[in-house]
Amino acid sequence: MPVYNFKKITVVPPAKDFIDIVLSKTQRKTPTVVHRGYAITRIRQFYMRKVKYTQTNWHEKLSTILEEFPRVDDVHPFYADLLNVLYDKDHYKLALGQLNMAKGLIDKVTKDYVRMMKYADSLYRCKTLKRAAMGRMCTIMKKQQASLAYLEQVRQHLARLPTIDPNTRTILVCGYPNVGKSSFMNKVTRADVEVQPYAFTTKSLFVGHTDYKYLRWQVIDTPGILDRPLEERNTIEMQSITALAHLRAVVLYIVDISEQCGFTIKQQSELFHSIKPLFANKPLMVVCNKTDIRKIEELSQEDQDRIQEMREVVSGGDEMEDGESSSMLTMSTLTEEGVSAVKTAACDKLLVSRVEMKLRSKGTAETLNRIHVAMPTPRDDAARPAVIPAGIEETRAAVAAGNRRQTEKDLQEQFGGAGVYSADFRKNYLLEDESWKYDIMPEILDGHNIMDFVDPDIEAKLAELEREEEELQAAAEAAGEVEMDDDDDDELDEEEKELVEKIRTRKAKIVANHREKKTVANNAPFVPRKFDRERKSNVSSMKEQLSSLGMDPSAAVERARSKPASRQERARSASRGRKRGREEEEGNEVEEMDGGRAMRSKSRGSQSRVREPTPSEGLSTVAQKAKAIKLSDKAQRSRNKMAKAGEGDRVIHTKMPKHLFSGKRGIGKTDRR
Amino acid sequence: MAVRLQFENSNDIGVFANLTNSYCLTAFGGSENFYSVFEAELADHIPVVKACVAGTSLVGRMTVGNKNGLLMPNSTTDQELMHIKNSLPDNVVVQRIDERLSALGNCISCNDYVALIHPDIDRETEEIIADVLGVEVFRQTIAGNVLTGSYAAFTNQGGLVHPQTSIEDLDELASLLQVPLVAGTVNRGSDVIGAGLVANDWIAFCGLDTTATELQVVESVYKLRNAQPSQIVDEMRNSLIDSMM
Repeated sequence: MPVYNFKKITVVPPAKDFIDIVLSKTQRKTPTVVHRGYAITRIRQFYMRKVKYTQTNWHEKLSTILEEFPRVDDVHPFYADLLNVLYDKDHYKLALGQLNMAKGLIDKVTKDYVRMMKYADSLYRCKTLKRAAMGRMCTIMKKQQASLAYLEQVRQHLARLPTIDPNTRTILVCGYPNVGKSSFMNKVTRADVEVQPYAFTTKSLFVGHTDYKYLRWQVIDTPGILDRPLEERNTIEMQSITALAHLRAVVLYIVDISEQCGFTIKQQSELFHSIKPLFANKPLMVVCNKTDIRKIEELSQEDQDRIQEMREVVSGGDEMEDGESSSMLTMSTLTEEGVSAVKTAACDKLLVSRVEMKLRSKGTAETLNRIHVAMPTPRDDAARPAVIPAGIEETRAAVAAGNRRQTEKDLQEQFGGAGVYSADFRKNYLLEDESWKYDIMPEILDGHNIMDFVDPDIEAKLAELEREEEELQAAAEAAGEVEMDDDDDDELDEEEKELVEKIRTRKAKIVANHREKKTVANNAPFVPRKFDRERKSNVSSMKEQLSSLGMDPSAAVERARSKPASRQERARSASRGRKRGREEEEGNEVEEMDGGRAMRSKSRGSQSRVREPTPSEGLSTVAQKAKAIKLSDKAQRSRNKMAKAGEGDRVIHTKMPKHLFSGKRGIGKTDRR
Repeated sequence: MAVRLQFENSNDIGVFANLTNSYCLTAFGGSENFYSVFEAELADHIPVVKACVAGTSLVGRMTVGNKNGLLMPNSTTDQELMHIKNSLPDNVVVQRIDERLSALGNCISCNDYVALIHPDIDRETEEIIADVLGVEVFRQTIAGNVLTGSYAAFTNQGGLVHPQTSIEDLDELASLLQVPLVAGTVNRGSDVIGAGLVANDWIAFCGLDTTATELQVVESVYKLRNAQPSQIVDEMRNSLIDSMM
């Protein structure tokens, strides 16, 4: 079902603004520079684009207007009639028709001028044609000034109309002016309609909503109606008539029995009879209002008869048992006496009639299963009781009494709100021992997922295993020493043991060396003497190693013990091959260390060493020298602090020198001057 | 008693919570709001546990349980399992099962005595369900849908099923389950009942969009606050017809 929402129609600008909007958009969104010297096709294309773009804009804007305004023929008859009453259907259709025509005209003008522009032979002609095209478009729109202004007013009024759903459950309140329709509305809904002690306070339809039987009910307050022929009714009354005629609602005809509204019961009854045709096929109720002033029993016999007469009309001739209560009600909107009874009765009556109608219509079979409760037929004797813990009711009573428990949300609010508060999810653990709650348990230990090894019966299993082993041991002991003697064959003698030990040690060494080679030796630099803590790399170890490989170590040892190589030689040997160079260097290391400080090679490490103060250059003591160094450092520092630009600083020169880039240029001449 | 709530702007609270007669699982959320609704109503009687399953918050759809036990899918991590085991009382058996259809909550719906399962569930799983949850197990479809857990939600007192279940199917299911059944909707016309609400024998939670009529049907069929399922055909009949058609 369509939902009628007229609040989202876009604004219709007045003709003058409309023209400005479209033209300025063209100006903004199309190229603006064209030159006489361009190829004529380019010039033509430039102006055609402008004309076409303007046309598209007009077309789009007018189309949205035409689409967004409700079409009288397409909307619900209630809205169609309401549009007719409020805005005059002919006028409305005419205005929209005019805009549609303007749209077509603009399209046609564009087509013509674009065609003409194809034959234009100069920039000037193109421009003139463009001007003419745009001028004609604007003239067309200027003529629509009245339509646009009217549509804008309609739009503003439509947006303020209440959102009435013509298909939902509706209670329609009607009657003479000032009989208490709006007061009733205010009592049953929260619409807060204006109530004043003069006629026609309510000048248009008002909508409120109320709840009954889990459903939402729309209550429509209508302006008062006077008893006169339809042609003489004003717009305000006609809105009521429209609502009465088209909405499938329960109608509450309110009668003021105190006659304070200025109309006698006779007049009210006459109105009732004259608008009777509007009540056809609708549930109807006559409600006597203002009983706080005058009771129905206090009325004159004539008036009572009139009311009785209306009641007969309502009950449709045949007297129903509950006719008195359902279709003839009394209330006082002042004291609220009977108001809710009226609402209940009205809602029930409408609901029953709607349900009847719906059940008579097609397509109800699919939903009938939803009002069916499938009760089980017992299939065995098993009892399947509900499991409800004791104390539910007590807790609910306590909560109702205001004894709410402190929830995590309260804590969250207390400690900084969502995103800041971090809930303690171990708080409610149910464990054997409370103190276990916050025990830290790693997820993975030594590469094993701990949970894979967790077994609740582990203690029992362990005990079982231990018991078994003890038994076995006991059995073994009982079996005696005999077996012990048998073991002697496996025993090794001293020599063999030693041999085994040797083999194992050697094996372990090889493995260790290999591993070290794999990890460290491949990418580590040679180890300086001072880091070779274990003193492994010395001449004696080399000697041992070489002889164990079955080689003669004497030459190597001699070379190691002889004078250290010069720097160049060392470098060369290092580049020749890592292994060899290293061996040599190890030898050198040994040499130096053995030779003591005096034999220290001058070639080593002077570049990386921190300057060590020695008295020289006319300075007598080390302290003097140190001070001199310090002073020279300081002198340098202060100079840097001045932060003067030097030739080492980065400079960005002017990127676009003004004199090279300003001034006029001829066509197509971009050379530097 | 029925309560309306939302999980982070989603009305499908049955996806994010699992409620039974002896415990309640809820999803970890950005705030404590969702959890606290359950906590306020339930924590005095049964443990309400924030949990996640397989790193997701789809607690209601991944797990299935009743007062006797809780079944978790294969994808549950050890840590999640341990957290749930620690939080639930010892008489609730928590079991992780190797089932290909891992969204157990969608494939199985149960109360404390009967379970309806997806027709394609393994035979071993069926046995585990019967053992762990202590229920009779029936392979069934609901209104032609195999996802029994999504399209039905029943307690020991009554049940709500997919709105297009025919009257014959309703009667057959009711006899299997031995509880009154009603076809209906939640969350303003949503037919995924299991995802839209969670209920146990004394309380139900529905999505925030649930209309007053739907809520009243829920209360009546689950016999909450002394309501009776017969109300649906008596007092509420007109309202239901008018709101549905």
